[in-house]
Amino acid sequence: MMARNLFIPITLGLVITFLIGPFLIIVAASFSAGETLAFPPQGFSLRWIAKVFTVESFRDSFYMSMFLAIGGTLAALILGIPASYALSRYKLPGAETIRTIVSAPIIVPGIIVGLSLLRYIVVPFQVGITLALFLAHTALILPYAVRVVSASLGNLRSDIEEAAVLLGSSRLGAFFRVVLPNIRGGIMSAFILGFVTSFNQVPVSLFLSGPGVRTLPVDMIAYMEIVFDPSVAALSALLAFMSIGIVFLAERFLGFSRYV
Amino acid sequence: MFQNRAEALALALPAALFAAAVFIAPVVILLSDGFRAPGGGWTISAYTEFFSSSLNQAVFLRTLKLGVLVTIVAAVIGYAAAFAIVSLEPGKKGKVTGLIVLPLMISPVARTYAWIVILGRTGIVNQAFQALGISEAPLRILFSETAIFIGLLQLFLPLMIISLISALENMPKDAIPAARVLGANWFQVFWKVILPLTKEGVVIGGTLVFTGCLTAYITPAILGGSKVLMLETLLYQQVTVSNNFVAASVIALILIVMSFAANILLKRVATARNKTMRNTKGTAQ
Repeated sequence: MMARNLFIPITLGLVITFLIGPFLIIVAASFSAGETLAFPPQGFSLRWIAKVFTVESFRDSFYMSMFLAIGGTLAALILGIPASYALSRYKLPGAETIRTIVSAPIIVPGIIVGLSLLRYIVVPFQVGITLALFLAHTALILPYAVRVVSASLGNLRSDIEEAAVLLGSSRLGAFFRVVLPNIRGGIMSAFILGFVTSFNQVPVSLFLSGPGVRTLPVDMIAYMEIVFDPSVAALSALLAFMSIGIVFLAERFLGFSRYV
Repeated sequence: MFQNRAEALALALPAALFAAAVFIAPVVILLSDGFRAPGGGWTISAYTEFFSSSLNQAVFLRTLKLGVLVTIVAAVIGYAAAFAIVSLEPGKKGKVTGLIVLPLMISPVARTYAWIVILGRTGIVNQAFQALGISEAPLRILFSETAIFIGLLQLFLPLMIISLISALENMPKDAIPAARVLGANWFQVFWKVILPLTKEGVVIGGTLVFTGCLTAYITPAILGGSKVLMLETLLYQQVTVSNNFVAASVIALILIVMSFAANILLKRVATARNKTMRNTKGTAQ
């Protein structure tokens, strides 16, 4: 079985190189001392990593992306948790229709979502770009929130809250004292999934940008079209480590992959 | 199960109304734009006009071609990789799966940007080609279909591998040794045993990869430039350069129809293969 023994390491080596290699090159290129983006990097310096923090538009769009990722995910959870609870614990007429409506934003390409919001919400109702971005990101995260929270409600036996109600607790009290503590892991996982999805999202935000209002990835694309220095590589590397760090911690403390 | 209908609606309706108002209504209106006749009434002339342009035809065919090619190549590599991963011992399996999933956490902008360093005029590939004497002048790899293909494959391959890993793990453990003992060669084992038993995984992975390719914006925008367009980048150009919202609506519907068609077609293919299998078994008996 010589052939088989070689097959596994060679296949995995090639696939992992193809998937991870480009990312390592970006990390290496961001330590370059040269003026332009190149690999192998010319010399070693931290100047491009330092430069990332001095570009004003990066700072503004980073705050915008953070606001959208955190605010949008919280809003999606506030809408999504009661909906998931109703879908899994109640006999609800039209439950399938509601489920389809709530998870629809995942099926339609993001660029179309962004464009239709611009045309039919922003322009006719004079909605600000920031609010439109917030609505778009909330709609985008809602399907993930409902899916992950529903899955974790599905794993929780429903008779314990029925017992709480029988023992005199109010329905609401039973939800907050019995259900919520038990689906905490699922909610945190939904939050992280929503955060990463929103933060990395480009097509939805593409049309929803105005003077000084842009999400970070859209800003990075605009920057790299004009300037060809390693600062976008440095920023990419920093953001990648941020995402990986968050997901790693989530896996460590929550067992993230059980929910997603 | 609680029975209170009013309570249930009060819990579920805010989310449904939000999605309907912010998402479904605007998208439906946008899609209807493509069918509106200038003087009122409905028409499909925007669609005939769209497809009569040779540039649009080329973009449509390129999108279809790249989507199909990336999906097929991802399935081939995906099978090899997933097969290798499930035959690892449990500890290693988790670590390798983690490495495969890792790129999904990284921003697609960062992942696509890396290919500029690799495929550019002074990139690694051109440096290597010139050092080895394969080519004299730097090749133009960036801003081509090849570059978009590589970028899309790297972006979506993990989705295919993950779908196939779970499909292979759910396969009966002794199916392959049994087929081997009965004299099947590796090609037959794949075609007649592994593929039919993992078809659900291929359908899920294939739909994810194909739909991903159709709706990817960053990859064709960065690696294709403004000349080698796909439907998504064409849509963006129609809006920002030509201000043509009717064409944008047409492209939007084409994209949505293509994703649904791919999903249905893949499911069909999977069930049709199963029927032929059963029929052949019938005649053999």
